[in-house]
Amino acid sequence: MSLDLTKVAAQVGSMVARLKAGGEERKKRLKYALDILHDKSIDPDQLRKKIDSSQTTWLVAGLVDGLDQCYKPPFLPKEFTVIATDGSHIDVDRHRSTRCYLINIGTVVLGYGAQPQALLDSFPSLYFGDEDLVIAPDGAKGREQPIEGVLLGIKRSVDECHRLAELAAELPKGSFNLALLDGSLILWGLAGKVYPEFVTEALLNKGFLRYLEDMRKLNADRRLALASYISFPRSTDVVNALRVAICPYDPADCDRYCPNKARDCDRISGVQDRELFSNTLAPGERSALFTSQSKIVRENYGEHWVYFFYLRVDDEIARVEIPQWVAKDEDLLNLTHSLVLDQCRRGQGYPVALSEAHEQAVVTGVDRETFWQLVEASLVDEHLPTPTSAKSQSKRTRWV
Amino acid sequence: MVKESKMAEMQRVGEVIEASTTDFVAQCYELYQIPPLGSLVKTGDLNAELYAVVCNAATTSLEPGRRPIARGKDETSEEEIYRSSPQLMKLLKSEFGALVVGHKKDAKLYHHLPPQPARIHSFVYQCTPAEVTEFGQSFDFLNILLNARLTVPTEELVAASLRQMSQAHQDPRVFLVAAGKELAILLSGNLNQLKAILGRIRQ
Repeated sequence: MSLDLTKVAAQVGSMVARLKAGGEERKKRLKYALDILHDKSIDPDQLRKKIDSSQTTWLVAGLVDGLDQCYKPPFLPKEFTVIATDGSHIDVDRHRSTRCYLINIGTVVLGYGAQPQALLDSFPSLYFGDEDLVIAPDGAKGREQPIEGVLLGIKRSVDECHRLAELAAELPKGSFNLALLDGSLILWGLAGKVYPEFVTEALLNKGFLRYLEDMRKLNADRRLALASYISFPRSTDVVNALRVAICPYDPADCDRYCPNKARDCDRISGVQDRELFSNTLAPGERSALFTSQSKIVRENYGEHWVYFFYLRVDDEIARVEIPQWVAKDEDLLNLTHSLVLDQCRRGQGYPVALSEAHEQAVVTGVDRETFWQLVEASLVDEHLPTPTSAKSQSKRTRWV
Repeated sequence: MVKESKMAEMQRVGEVIEASTTDFVAQCYELYQIPPLGSLVKTGDLNAELYAVVCNAATTSLEPGRRPIARGKDETSEEEIYRSSPQLMKLLKSEFGALVVGHKKDAKLYHHLPPQPARIHSFVYQCTPAEVTEFGQSFDFLNILLNARLTVPTEELVAASLRQMSQAHQDPRVFLVAAGKELAILLSGNLNQLKAILGRIRQ
């Protein structure tokens, strides 16, 4: 039996009614947040210090060049290249006969100018060896972390970054380039001490950050900006900075001053950064720069500390994250702004290189099923056993 | 191997991606580089060469679920569209269908269907004028064209193939007159169709 939509319809109605009822309140909160954003009496230096010394229960953006600045898009170089990668995976399936996973990385190189060119490719890798299936600490046994689920998603991000660094290394000297990743530069899956330290070491320090470093070094003889693009972001880092600004306590300390009670700053809770900036940025403009203050960034990212800005693309506000070495180099920052915007304009509102990388990487439901059939058919060919779980069997052969 | 290298000297226009006894579909190597409607192409392996007449062509998105969209509103020319979106050349494909009209085995030419269909991924070449002339020495292939069920109207395809073939002959008119006489016999019971074809090959 498929989903009974008639039973869902009434619940959808209730949801919409709730949203409609909250509309006025949301507008009021947004207006108040905008008033604070534009409040000239707030001294950015003072606020920066207050943010640095505050203890809050939410993530607060660090200030770099103010709160409500808007920057017009810089000029495009005549010749430039945009590279991008995106990934997709088939997770380990414990109901199947074989323990393995597959990561498919889609890559795109788009050259613009006198000699336009496009290279679209995909690189599927099957991981099946014991060393591929777990992350193990050096020298110690028994604490291995299996690579599946969330951890596989993180490994995929590392592989995307690895492939991007390889593409970047092939870019010609003296050229202007932008390397794009989808989503965040912050490997959120590793935050919150869910995994032991050696996992962070393997995936972040010896993985993701190493490849960012490889790309940073390429700037010795070419211009290479790196950015990740988040469409329709739900982040509230900047709104939370405004909460600190209106907090009557200095430094703010949520647990100390406001445990279990209504807070002044709740007057702007629920507002998202993109709502703020959709009211302040003109098409093509970017916001001020901000820094991520998340623990994982503070403790690990070093020279690749994550900065971000918001960018208005037609009707959408996107969040663009860049490492510190891009943020602090005005040319690279401008290159990021102009090329990301240009990519969105060429791609009907979303960077064309990323959407094509996604198309190259995508693994459909049918692909997944065909992959497992291929694995099992190959095992049968070699007269190897193909035991599958009864649960898996019952899903595949449905009966009444 | 001799045969292979000889084939390589000719113009390779595509690769078979679907094949049956009566026809095949080939994908072009370059976007829009489609052999003309009615032209003679060939494919095959070491056993036999298959001759076929191009009977339709299409340029579509590489992926069925992704339709092209209009992009030229702010561009000055069609060329600019491809310059500002270089990926388009990689996301579109040109294909053509060809109706098998004969084959060559052991250096002997037959104007009827081969025993085996083309193989998937076999290369497709545009026939040289010498091959077209050789193939056009017999009009037996016309019967296959007239009886095929096609998306293109039969009269259009027959006329297009005869016009194409005539170009390889020293005197195209002599070739077309001879073809017209053959058609008059084949279509003695269908004068409307005969008239439609003759109207389309008249010079």
